[in-house]
Amino acid sequence: MDFYEYLVDNAEPLSQEALDHIVVVGISVGIALVLGCALGVLAHRSPRLRPPILAVSATLLTIPSLALFAMFIPLLGLGTPPAVVALVLYALLPIVRNTVVGLGSVDQSVLRAARGMGMGSWRRFLRIELPLAWPVVLTGVRVSTQVVVGIAAIAALVNGPGLGNEIFRGLRSLGSPFALNLVLGGTLGIVVVALLFDAFFIALRRLTTARGIR
Amino acid sequence: MAVDVMAAPVEHSRRRVLRWLGMPLLLAVVGISLYAYVSTQELDTIERRVLNAPGLTDRVIEHLQLAGLSTLVVIAIAVPLGILATRRGARFVAPVVLILGNLGQAIPSLGLITLVVLLAGVGFKSIVFGLVAYSALPILRNTMVGLQQVDQTLVKSARGMGMSAWQTLTRVELPLAVPVILAGVRTALIINIGTATLSTFFGVQALGYVIFQGIQLDRTPVLIVGAVMASGLALLVDYLAGVVEELLTPRGL
Amino acid sequence: MTSQATPMIRLDELTKTYRGQPHPAVDRVSMDMPRGEIIVLVGPSGCGKTTTMELINRLIEPTSGRIYLDGDDVTRADPDSLRRRIGYVIQQIGLFPHFTVAENIATVPKLLGWDKKKIGDRVDELLDMVGMDPSEFRGRYPKQLSGGQRQRIGVARAMAADPPVMLMDEPFGAIDPITRDRLQNEFLRLQQQVQKTIVFVTHDIDEAIKLGDRIAILGERSQIAQYDTPANILASPASPYVADFIGAGASLKRLHLSQVSSVELDTGCVTARIDGDAEQARERLRASERAALLLLDADGRPQRWVDAGDLSSTDLFKAGEPVGAVVESTSTLSEALNAMLTSNSGVAVVIDRSGAFQGLLDFETVMVAARSERDFYRAAKVPS
Repeated sequence: MDFYEYLVDNAEPLSQEALDHIVVVGISVGIALVLGCALGVLAHRSPRLRPPILAVSATLLTIPSLALFAMFIPLLGLGTPPAVVALVLYALLPIVRNTVVGLGSVDQSVLRAARGMGMGSWRRFLRIELPLAWPVVLTGVRVSTQVVVGIAAIAALVNGPGLGNEIFRGLRSLGSPFALNLVLGGTLGIVVVALLFDAFFIALRRLTTARGIR
Repeated sequence: MAVDVMAAPVEHSRRRVLRWLGMPLLLAVVGISLYAYVSTQELDTIERRVLNAPGLTDRVIEHLQLAGLSTLVVIAIAVPLGILATRRGARFVAPVVLILGNLGQAIPSLGLITLVVLLAGVGFKSIVFGLVAYSALPILRNTMVGLQQVDQTLVKSARGMGMSAWQTLTRVELPLAVPVILAGVRTALIINIGTATLSTFFGVQALGYVIFQGIQLDRTPVLIVGAVMASGLALLVDYLAGVVEELLTPRGL
Repeated sequence: MTSQATPMIRLDELTKTYRGQPHPAVDRVSMDMPRGEIIVLVGPSGCGKTTTMELINRLIEPTSGRIYLDGDDVTRADPDSLRRRIGYVIQQIGLFPHFTVAENIATVPKLLGWDKKKIGDRVDELLDMVGMDPSEFRGRYPKQLSGGQRQRIGVARAMAADPPVMLMDEPFGAIDPITRDRLQNEFLRLQQQVQKTIVFVTHDIDEAIKLGDRIAILGERSQIAQYDTPANILASPASPYVADFIGAGASLKRLHLSQVSSVELDTGCVTARIDGDAEQARERLRASERAALLLLDADGRPQRWVDAGDLSSTDLFKAGEPVGAVVESTSTLSEALNAMLTSNSGVAVVIDRSGAFQGLLDFETVMVAARSERDFYRAAKVPS
């Protein structure tokens, strides 16, 4: 059976797994965005906390993905929960670092002017700092997503959802004639998901970046 | 995949001292705790089959062999390629390489290695080949970026003093690009250490074997030993690579 | 005490000490700033003039001392609502790059909760006031403006909620000298219209003399070396420090103090319409004792200088030479002198705000003015 026929025959399970993949990546990056932004703001405001926050997020990214997934099994069992937790941890560093860089690159004179005009600190953050840092933060989210889309394939090894299952199935039937179709289907599916996410972020960036700084 | 992600931020000295001491200290604490944890467990025969000193030593050695060899191969391929791509006359190659590389980033490591094994057969060599394919981008890209960011006036003045193109490359351009290239090498090394854990599915028993045995046999001690050892090894190698990076960076940069 | 006599701003023994520093950055500064005047704080860099200014809107909290705004003690008032009552312009301007010009100007009115209609009208009014066409500039972003335009928007933004007090920290510091001169003149004209109390920080004594109704020359730790009108400071520096700071060329600096409109202009100049008859113009020139005639356009704006020979040509638009030195009547004598020197002509053509010809100012008149002012100040110094 050639690859094209395989795709046609298995369109439904493949698209279901692609959807699962997108959902698990979306959830993980979403959580990482909130957490990473909060940590980034903290690191930006406190020079004392900045090195440990950045060092810990960098360390997380150094840990082999299989090991990180496995570590949460004793706590969370198999399936989606350990996958999401591990993916969130992987997604943190780019978001945290870009938040710090983005906030740091906001022109100090702009903030001084805002303060001098009587903008409160909360309003200053929401109206000035965050919108100006946003394109950089979003770039971090985009990098995180690319990292996480690939690593999510490995989540199948802890019974997580997504296209990794396709690859894993092929891997278990190494030597059989279906193996190549399974692996190719999963791998290319993940590439497509990655490209879809990238296109989404390009559109999102255009939509959410204030016109004056585009 | 993690090129942008791992480029080390500039650090100030106090933090560096803390880091140089902090990581070995952390690893020592983790190692001792892991040993203490395993000693308190009553291991059954299945667990003992995986968790024994000679066996684990072999796992670590195989892991390091995989990651070390693939990194050496990838340096031997990607650095010259990066140099070639930035030479006059081949400059048009650079953007093409970067675009292809960025597309390649989207390919998952598990899928790529499985495909390589499917085509080249199970075993050590195929895995090294897969690792090389997966980790080539950071070194290739950093070599190109490192050479491109060398101040062109320096190149001009080197040529103006009568250095040949080769001499300019080896005495001016490469030394100035070393820090960036080294950062790429370190990234590739970490990617290889991480991806080498997957080798257990392709017939090589590195530390991933311990982890996966833990998952499959539902033996928590095995799983924890595997995961902690793999993580510890990655952090240790990253730490040592950082030290080497520092030592190899030409003075004055 | 009538409200007229209450100073707009009163600093009372104001002190700022930073932790870990042996000396205060600002040491017991007391000052009264009368309403409607421009008060310039001038001094060498690091003397604490910006710190002193930022104590007023409490961007820096004072360690001790009191601040009174229009008679109210605001030392403990809520800093955000205090700042909304005080306009604030800094050298880097700090326009919000992601806001349009209109949104930038509307910042404080929005914070104060004005309704939309009122804000929109106010924005247009302010844009008009700083000489920028609302329909053209309302929707632009800061990056689409020139340096001078950004500066004007910065001033408009500071005035948006019509605050009685404005603080300006080297607002013209980062602008090229030619634009700076123009903006300074515009600023003075604007001030005549709005009559704010303005605290203006600069390190440039020439700018201080040109703009200030009152100048405070500050020494270390913001100690006031002299606080007086520019004329008095120039005529009688209170200390060698002040004299040093004013520097050499004090008599030239005095020319900063007088506007062209304060001296008598030569109004006997012969003029003719540039689109008029050349033959008539030649007749008029011959009838006068003058050597040259000034051609004006339909709106009375000076165009070209011509002599009798030039008038034999029929195309007056190409005859003679274009006018070189042109100054507005609100310019200072120093600027007029400058214009004469750079255009290499011994005479400057003076125009009014609309650009229409008013008269001529020659080198001699400027020199006499400089000398007579010096005599005037010398006389003032001697107690009678």
